Amino acid sequence: MLAWGSLSKTDVIGAIIVIALLATVPFVGSRYIVGIMTVALCYAIWATSWDFMSGLTGRENFGHALFIGTGAYTAGFLNVSFGLNPWWGFPAAAIVAVLFSLVIGIPTLRLRGPYFALAMLSGAVVMQKLSIIFSETTGGQDGLNGLSPMLRSQVSAYYFTLAALVVTVVILKLIALSPWGTILRAIRGDEATCQAAGINVNFYKISALMISAAFAGFGGALYANYQLQVGPDLFDVALSINIIIMVYVGGMGSIYGPVGGALLLIGLTEGLRSFSEYRLWVYTLVLILILFFIPSGVIAPVWVRVRSWIKSRSAIFSRSAGA
Amino acid sequence: MLDILIYGAVISAVYALLAVGFTLIFGVARILNLAHGAFYALGAYCVYTLTSNLHVPLIIAAIIAVLLVALFGIAMERVLVRPLRRLPPLAVLMMTLAVGLMVEQILLLIFGSEARNVPSLVESSFNFGGVLLSGQRLLAFFCSVAILGGLWLFMQHTRLGAAILAVSQDPEGARYMGIPSDRIFSIVMGLSAAIAAAAGVLVAPFQSVIPGMGLLPLVKAFAIVIVGGLGSIPGSIVGALLLGYTETIVAFKASIEWSQIVSVAAVLIVLIIRPAGFFGKRAAF
Repeated sequence: MLAWGSLSKTDVIGAIIVIALLATVPFVGSRYIVGIMTVALCYAIWATSWDFMSGLTGRENFGHALFIGTGAYTAGFLNVSFGLNPWWGFPAAAIVAVLFSLVIGIPTLRLRGPYFALAMLSGAVVMQKLSIIFSETTGGQDGLNGLSPMLRSQVSAYYFTLAALVVTVVILKLIALSPWGTILRAIRGDEATCQAAGINVNFYKISALMISAAFAGFGGALYANYQLQVGPDLFDVALSINIIIMVYVGGMGSIYGPVGGALLLIGLTEGLRSFSEYRLWVYTLVLILILFFIPSGVIAPVWVRVRSWIKSRSAIFSRSAGA
Repeated sequence: MLDILIYGAVISAVYALLAVGFTLIFGVARILNLAHGAFYALGAYCVYTLTSNLHVPLIIAAIIAVLLVALFGIAMERVLVRPLRRLPPLAVLMMTLAVGLMVEQILLLIFGSEARNVPSLVESSFNFGGVLLSGQRLLAFFCSVAILGGLWLFMQHTRLGAAILAVSQDPEGARYMGIPSDRIFSIVMGLSAAIAAAAGVLVAPFQSVIPGMGLLPLVKAFAIVIVGGLGSIPGSIVGALLLGYTETIVAFKASIEWSQIVSVAAVLIVLIIRPAGFFGKRAAF
């Protein structure tokens, strides 16, 4: 595994350049592109929150859609059924998602093996089926429609989503860099040793899952408030899997990599539109090639290379300037 | 009452077939194979192509389909999975997932999304004390039981079966005894693919054959294997019986929708109460 190390000045400058580029999208892109990008930013929030729990501790979560869906439905209920202001949806979504994370995390995270992954997967499937069975309250296949918009214009929704993403990445990255994050990474490395060192590994794993769920639920509410619609697809296995693929392509455990992974893969699906029915086939082919030839991901490892290249260049530059 | 008993038996037998292959490759190679559902779908589509496009007799088509899918499983293990073995386990998991998605997309491209029909091997229906059961379902039941029995004999009474068991108990120890564990992994992947394909071939006449048909069986296989204990073959058979019957009862007494929740809800309950499943080894934790 690559060591991501601490945050350097180059990282901060790189991040600011990326944010600035994303901020120019509404000026250069059409309405259609801004719409796609807003969705891509939601995916980025989901992918980063997945990476925080699973990338750091190495416990793969195959049902992240559970948190996204519960968050989105919470926001939808509060808005459509109870007529509350859409802004209430965000904290409520995060809280409900955290409750779900406790229900699944407490029994399964103490186990080794793929049990947590499978319990998350089944949890998401159960919620999807329940949302269809209780169709009088959830709207069944059609879901909840007609959420009142939180922001009037599409561009302001885009900037709000971008700001939410930046805040999410900064918070998660800071936790990941803190001693707390070091313990999470140590759990990925050798759980038994951590336990022997007196670390309450279950506490750390479960709280990591809670944080991850909170941001995923928040992201779900964000998505619901942008689409003005919530449906059972938000619990779909395909969504959970897509998020894992994004993190994998971005670089596991780096927090910022999944953002790049999400943007790259949404861009790829859009770019492959000309292939029409071959689109998903090409997509899976690209995925297999990436998994086979660059299994540590694309975005984060590339950035690590670029950063060390910049460092070596600037070292040469400062030496020659000093001479 | 009798209808629950009979239909439950058929469903349980097919589920057992799916779950046994899934648990076999996990027990031996520690691969959680997310392409397992794809093997099942491939089996059904192979039979469809062979019978309706190439006009091969059904029985021969079924055998060819199972062999082809077994070859596909071996090829996947050799080419795509084995090079990733030294990486973190998620790499292999993602690769099987990608292969599963790929197969679904290829099937979608070739055959389109509409359901295909595969002819039944046995056309007539049988009457059991007032319960009408189609011959194909009966055949599916007996073939499943026969395959499971054959698998048991193979594992218990052949050298290769003993080698597979040895690798599943202790891969390193087995290597010291001169058992080529890499080759065993390939063989087991082929075997597991063949069993999944057989399940696909058997249910194809009374199930809708669509490209995405593998997803639900995969989730079911997951559930059964968790209930029975990951890596345990008797456990997965017991798990299949439990889930098969519970689903049938719920489907008859409540509705089909609720029956789809049974398996996943069972997973959650088992994970909370007894995570090792009924036959799983406690030592695995």
